Amino acid sequence: MNRAEVLIRFLVPSDPCYLSVVRATVGELAAVCGLREQECRAMTLAVDEAMANVIRHAYRGDPAHAIEVECEGRADRLNFTLLDQGAAPDMARLQPHPLDDWSLSGRGTHLIRSAMDEVHYERVPRGNQLRLSKLLPAPARAGKKEGL
Amino acid sequence: MNTAIRNFGAATVVDITGHIDLGSSPALRKAMLECLKGTDRMAANLAGVKYIDSSGIASLLEVLKEARKSKKKFVLFGLTAGVREVLQLTRLTGVFEIFESEDGALGSALSHGSSCP
Repeated sequence: MNRAEVLIRFLVPSDPCYLSVVRATVGELAAVCGLREQECRAMTLAVDEAMANVIRHAYRGDPAHAIEVECEGRADRLNFTLLDQGAAPDMARLQPHPLDDWSLSGRGTHLIRSAMDEVHYERVPRGNQLRLSKLLPAPARAGKKEGL
Repeated sequence: MNTAIRNFGAATVVDITGHIDLGSSPALRKAMLECLKGTDRMAANLAGVKYIDSSGIASLLEVLKEARKSKKKFVLFGLTAGVREVLQLTRLTGVFEIFESEDGALGSALSHGSSCP
């Protein structure tokens, strides 16, 4: 593996109590890859919202399933891939839509799209795959910590 | 996530600490709606909130809706950078009444004649 690349894989139960574990890793990885504090929080929020969507919608709140999460740091981008074997998402929910001040739902997808440069859903043989990508600006790439 | 309640006469402060996410937001919602029943003016102290997601924001919004419906007052104060960013991204900073300090929040919560924004 190139020393500028890193790949972290999780296989976590679809139980909300594990969300904080993945959040901690995503935030730290984004920081190591040179993103600013605010961007690290945005990355963390986006991946967390995507996992919450899987738990709520694909698995309908059942904590007995599995979610595969892959966090990949590359020279020019961060990729986060989620894979689940639950119900396929409502594609309309994944599309950008205007926010309603008083609506209690629909903000998660907006937060994901706000933080990420690319959001791509695909039905694959192993289930539902959501890939989130954040392009790293040149100064962030140059500012990567030594030793990776 | 933990909540603690402090009473100041006619107003109540709810101190919220920890992470508000899909796992903890139902408990937050329940605790705050229960608290709202026993007070006319409630202020949520978010200074100890390390993380909040859209389900947590939805819980706060539901409390605000209930407060307005019941002609009560519900305000926020002590927002951390992370909480403020989520409110900004979800375009809700104009929906909630937000104060920097507890004094400001209590002053507003205790004021008469403006029970709802």
